[in-house]
Amino acid sequence: MENKDYQMCTRCVMDTTDPEINFDENGVCNHCREFDEVTSKRWFPNDEGDKKLEAIYEKMKKENAHKDYDCILGLSGGVDSSYLALKLYEAGIRPLVVHVDGGWNSELAVQNIENIVNYCGWHLHTIVIDWEEMKDLQLAYLKSAIANQDVPQDHAFFASLYHFATKYGVNYVISGGNLATESIFPKAWHWSAMDADNLHAIHNKFGTKKLKNYKTIGFYELYFYYPFVKKMKTIRPLNFMPYIKSEALEELKEKVGYKEYARKHGESVFTKFFQNYWLPMKFGYDKRKPHLASLIVADQMSREEALKELDKPLYDEKELKEDKEYIAKKLGVSDEEFEQILQMPSHSYNDFPNMTEKYNRMKKVQNFVSKLLGRKISNYS
Amino acid sequence: MLQKRIIPCLLLHKGGLYKTEKFKKPTYIGDPINAIKIFNEKEVDELMFLDIDASVENKEPNYKMIEDIASECFMPLCYGGGVKNIEQMKKIYSLGVEKISLSSQATINPNLIKEAANIFGNQSVIVTIDIKKDFWGNKKVFINNGKKNTKLNPIDFIKQVEALGAGEIVINNIDNDGVMKGYDLELLKEIKENTKIPIIALGGAGNLNHIKEVFESSKVDAVACGSMFVYQGPLKGVLISYPPYQKIQELLGNK
Amino acid sequence: MIAILDYGIGNLKSIYNMFKKVGVESIITSDIEIIKKADKYLLPGVGSFDYGINSLKNTPFFETLEEEVLENKKPILGICLGMQLLTNSSEEGKEKGLGWIDAETVKFDLEDKSLSIPHMGWNKTNPTNTNDIFKNLEDNRFYFVHSYHVVCNDEKNILASSYYGQAFTCSIYKDNIYGVQFHPEKSHKFGMQLLKNFGEM
Repeated sequence: MENKDYQMCTRCVMDTTDPEINFDENGVCNHCREFDEVTSKRWFPNDEGDKKLEAIYEKMKKENAHKDYDCILGLSGGVDSSYLALKLYEAGIRPLVVHVDGGWNSELAVQNIENIVNYCGWHLHTIVIDWEEMKDLQLAYLKSAIANQDVPQDHAFFASLYHFATKYGVNYVISGGNLATESIFPKAWHWSAMDADNLHAIHNKFGTKKLKNYKTIGFYELYFYYPFVKKMKTIRPLNFMPYIKSEALEELKEKVGYKEYARKHGESVFTKFFQNYWLPMKFGYDKRKPHLASLIVADQMSREEALKELDKPLYDEKELKEDKEYIAKKLGVSDEEFEQILQMPSHSYNDFPNMTEKYNRMKKVQNFVSKLLGRKISNYS
Repeated sequence: MLQKRIIPCLLLHKGGLYKTEKFKKPTYIGDPINAIKIFNEKEVDELMFLDIDASVENKEPNYKMIEDIASECFMPLCYGGGVKNIEQMKKIYSLGVEKISLSSQATINPNLIKEAANIFGNQSVIVTIDIKKDFWGNKKVFINNGKKNTKLNPIDFIKQVEALGAGEIVINNIDNDGVMKGYDLELLKEIKENTKIPIIALGGAGNLNHIKEVFESSKVDAVACGSMFVYQGPLKGVLISYPPYQKIQELLGNK
Repeated sequence: MIAILDYGIGNLKSIYNMFKKVGVESIITSDIEIIKKADKYLLPGVGSFDYGINSLKNTPFFETLEEEVLENKKPILGICLGMQLLTNSSEEGKEKGLGWIDAETVKFDLEDKSLSIPHMGWNKTNPTNTNDIFKNLEDNRFYFVHSYHVVCNDEKNILASSYYGQAFTCSIYKDNIYGVQFHPEKSHKFGMQLLKNFGEM
């Protein structure tokens, strides 16, 4: 939606659909500047990264030599976690391999997971989220009409993974999060999926079933218990190697027989709908922008190429119709009811109780303690 | 020539998909609709969907669920569970189901088989026979999820069912269910030698070799598998799978 | 718009669902006006011959259908029993068929007694031409379930054959009239291609 105040960064493709964006005198946005000044300093796609990663692996292996597993790895069937799996296998790491099934797996996702575990010779664990409860929670979220509709799946993913890890005495969590393709994201677009207070508030207001099997992680569990008592550490190996998605994909195809998705997050039908329809339609947020912007600042894509990508339609019309019908069917509502739900007035997560206050207080304390000790304190690496 | 069929068999329990072991210890597999969608995309030959609560709890079949599932299936679908009369069968067929499996009713009211075969055609009526060893180690026909021993001898019962007009028979071996160590080859061979209509073996498959084995030794017409297509690896991580067509052809020795 | 003829039998929903999946508009109907306006017809059918032909002939739309197909030459595709009804007669029953294609429906009489009847399962077919409904289907397999099969009196009407103990005709055609013995609506990607071809013809 163009208006007088519309502006797009001259270097990447972030624009004023991010309400908090600002530009310098050259029209370069704050995201680019933040990448240059802060984020890139945590990124090591080079020999230095190689050495750092080796040291991390050594430490991890040493600490867990007497145990069955070195770490825990969540497999979703997506490129990041799949590539990660391949690299861990090649590094001789022994992960506790877990797939969290939220009920939306595409055929490609399960095929890719099968191919990877077979190739690496690993034994798969699956945590199946109770679908009746997930359904209820997802409907509650849709009715609350907040931006981040992936919370039910994402929160379940992390909560399940962490609970499972502690069950097996594993304290290293390997994450596929990476700066090469995900460094940029506008905070204004949506709030964290880890806010259990917000989740329960939304569910209490719009849900109909009790959440008995659906596990959540509370504030204190997330910020104190897991990091400091259980000493959970998160490692993001993809930040210590050159991670060029197109090459990673080729390598996966060649070695593992990986099948490519038509678009990002094709492993979940709902996430596809959420990112390519819900966010743009209800909030004007096109998630392709921060993703492509990340690739631009990482030198994996030119701005021209990114603009061409953005010209492509977000959703094929026929596919959208089919997906909507499928989602309505799965959620147990008629097509009309589903349309009505989609038209409900939008809200901000802030319209419901949440942990922002607790979080800000904690951050203040963290900063204070950091200053006192002269070093940075963090909950997770 | 006619291809041997490999049929995923899914169990509905408390509204969700479950898998059992010897008809006990139900483990949650997840949402039925998503599982069926994945099988459909994997282009499976045929699908069996059994509601294991309906008969035991004396409930009507879950028509909405059946309709939703049928709408995701572009291959033959067989439904079983709690079917007691012609009216129910008519309704179920109209929802897009090709075949209906009668199990408990086949022993309680065998005439239903004949009636249904006449109205809907033999090929639409399947009889699923649950077989388990009784206390003395003799194989008998059981109903109500393996809890009630009808004392019927399987071969005699099968001949009866065949005479009444059943189109196919599913031999469901309770002792092998969920154990993933192979089919009961002896039983199946004996049954196949005594019947003319297609026999589908269910219960015991753990890997493709078991399937190859049962086709070669007993000459059954099709196999149905539960655990094999919903579990991955020795730890039974839930994951839907199905061998690609080429692999099946190689397995069966076809080009 | 394809009218899926509702004469009380057959798996109409599955056919409708598959047309929808391949982007072809269709409607399940027994309404005379809609049938008059339709571009093409789908004649489904499952069950016994006599019951089928009587049900069809007794519908209020039968005469309209006859006119649209035989005089206005609108394409029609008969599936399974629907295809058998297009023939002159069937050994399964006493009634006369539509006789729209010169063929007879006969029972499978196989020498190899180990082969069960009905012929049920997936089987390959050999189309004689791949111009219309078998376009892009040189390599195919479809789901069959039948005890009777069709024998054409004129070879020209054979569109595809299959093999079950013996070779048999599994698809027939004449001008605008087509029939397939197998079930495209249950033959996933192969059926989708066939129904798509029919829709786009």
